[in-house]
Amino acid sequence: MEKVWIAFAAALAVGIPALATAWAQSRIGAAGAGTLAEKPELTGAIIILVAIPETMVILGFVVAAMILLML
Amino acid sequence: MIIRMAKVEIVGPKQDLLSTLDLLHNRGIFQPDPKLMERVELAEDEQLQTLVLDENELRERSFFQDMQERVTNLLELLPEVNNGISPLQPLPVMGLLDELVDQHLATARDQVRSLNECRRNAEELQHDLSFWEALEPLLENLPKNSNLELFGVTIRDSRQLHNLDSLLQERTQGRCYISSTTTTDGTLIGLIATDRGSADGLRQALTAEKVPELSLPEELAGLPLPQRITALHDNLKSQLGQCNQLEGRLMDTSRRWRPIYRSALVWLEERLALYRATATAYTTRLCFIVQGWMANNEVDRLQDDLNRSFSGRVVLEQLAILEEDLDQVPVMLRNPGYFAPFEILSRLLPLPKYSSYDPTPLLGLFFPVLFGMILGDIGYGLILLLLAFFLARHFPAHTLTSDIGKVLGIAALYTLVFGILYGELFGDLGETWLGLHPVWFDRGKTVVPMIVFSLTVGVVHILLGMTLGALTELRRHQPRKALVKLAMLVAVILMVLALVGWFYPQSWLSTGPLLIGVGILMPVLIAAEGLLAPLELLKTMGNIISYVRIMAIGFSSILLAMVANRLGGMTGDIMVGILVGGTLHAFNLLLGVFAPTVHSLRLHYVEFFSKFLDLGGRRFEPWQKRHP
Repeated sequence: MEKVWIAFAAALAVGIPALATAWAQSRIGAAGAGTLAEKPELTGAIIILVAIPETMVILGFVVAAMILLML
Repeated sequence: MIIRMAKVEIVGPKQDLLSTLDLLHNRGIFQPDPKLMERVELAEDEQLQTLVLDENELRERSFFQDMQERVTNLLELLPEVNNGISPLQPLPVMGLLDELVDQHLATARDQVRSLNECRRNAEELQHDLSFWEALEPLLENLPKNSNLELFGVTIRDSRQLHNLDSLLQERTQGRCYISSTTTTDGTLIGLIATDRGSADGLRQALTAEKVPELSLPEELAGLPLPQRITALHDNLKSQLGQCNQLEGRLMDTSRRWRPIYRSALVWLEERLALYRATATAYTTRLCFIVQGWMANNEVDRLQDDLNRSFSGRVVLEQLAILEEDLDQVPVMLRNPGYFAPFEILSRLLPLPKYSSYDPTPLLGLFFPVLFGMILGDIGYGLILLLLAFFLARHFPAHTLTSDIGKVLGIAALYTLVFGILYGELFGDLGETWLGLHPVWFDRGKTVVPMIVFSLTVGVVHILLGMTLGALTELRRHQPRKALVKLAMLVAVILMVLALVGWFYPQSWLSTGPLLIGVGILMPVLIAAEGLLAPLELLKTMGNIISYVRIMAIGFSSILLAMVANRLGGMTGDIMVGILVGGTLHAFNLLLGVFAPTVHSLRLHYVEFFSKFLDLGGRRFEPWQKRHP
């Protein structure tokens, strides 16, 4: 039973930040697309901005890996 | 790297100003900066003012402006026959061109107007012809009755055709017949046949329904359809011949005069640019003064040029760059061979300030390493190396694609090196097929060591950034700020050591004294930086933790590669297995190029550069000829 809870905790650790990242990226992506229509020279900066919220899911992934491996 | 700049002042007699500006224009190495003139100190009896052109110069400028406008209008009308420019010197013949340009403009306008009219007529004829040709087969289905009246109409869609049919049947009490077809350009057209008695009513119905009737030139309207089509063909042929003739005449005019007028326009543009440049010069009663910026290594050469051209009358003096000038110094970046292609990555950022660093060499050093650490696979590295070789060889040097190829090539080399260290060839395929073993560690199985490795890279990178930040402050002559940055650096080192001691206890590494050290530094930092100092320390620790993405993205990449291999193996058929595995590996490689690029750049732009890079520099834009 304990294993189930560990797996569930790991899933939450990566799942919730994944949802948050998706939400943030959808907002940034939409704004970025609007920006690119007027200033195509900002392509590089927009790609970086879209990648910024990925930190959340990456850290969530690390926490999930640590939960699975260390507990 | 950022090229060292010199602040210079050029002084000479007033009458030599235009010649001096012309020389500076030709050299293309000097950027004037009128703002610098605000700090010039003069004797009490001298008054500094912007240059006011005399009456002759004003008249000349106005003439050149008018001439430029007329020549531009003419060149817009003349078709481009070739890109040549006449070697004729425009100035001696400017008077003659002034007389001729109006004449040529009027002729060209007439020719262009006639040509446009001719083309419009030809288009209309072509349009009519396509309609009547499409209607011809429909006519064959009609009875040969001389009492029939025929209408050709354009129909919007099949729904309108249906409605029209019902309406016309009703209006003519069933004495009409409508058939339809589609022209070569997809337009739906219809042929309506009715007896002469119902024709007027039917025409009114078509007008009321806004269904356009196909019209014909009057002289063709009375002809039977086959003759109509032949006559339309003849008319079109003659119209096209006329168009060719008119076009040929316009081309002749262009072939003869365009190179001369282009040469005149180039000269006029340069001359007017020179007049505009006088706005940046200041004068006293007898002298002119121009101040600005240029590359330090060009100063001696320009000094020699001025001496030679003006026999010492115009003098160039190099001035000291003051602290208040630092934000004004324009920035020119130039990087040697290996680093030059990495400018495509640094150009995504605004220019650094003169007192800061060019991020290009740092990107050249660290970007490929981080890319290789994330992707780290011999197979993917080899494919990327081939792709990079193709891009670099098949596209001209110093173009965006060729530079992308070079950067990708270097990144692929590091991917190859880390692939050997991790023992990966298309994921675990190397291990299964070739017995390949990791030289360093297997990142698919050892997650925690990989996290530690990623964080160590982060610590080194961030500490280097903080050191460069302290050096930047020293270069800006801000020792106090430099000391604060160094104190923050020490605090971060102590925090990192404390965390290492916490997770991996060592006899020589005691957490308590390290945290006490941070506690001692904190009041100093708060006194210098305010209450945000502890937050800054936490932010820096967050920046270091962010490097864990090196492990996370790499881990997901190797898992995807392993999934590709397993799925390929599960098919039980070699060909299908190769197809499934190959497709998944191709997808993983695509992600494997995109994700490491974006995340390596992000680690640089957000985590590393924020520690020392001062952005917002002015680009060095020297005066130079628009047409060298």
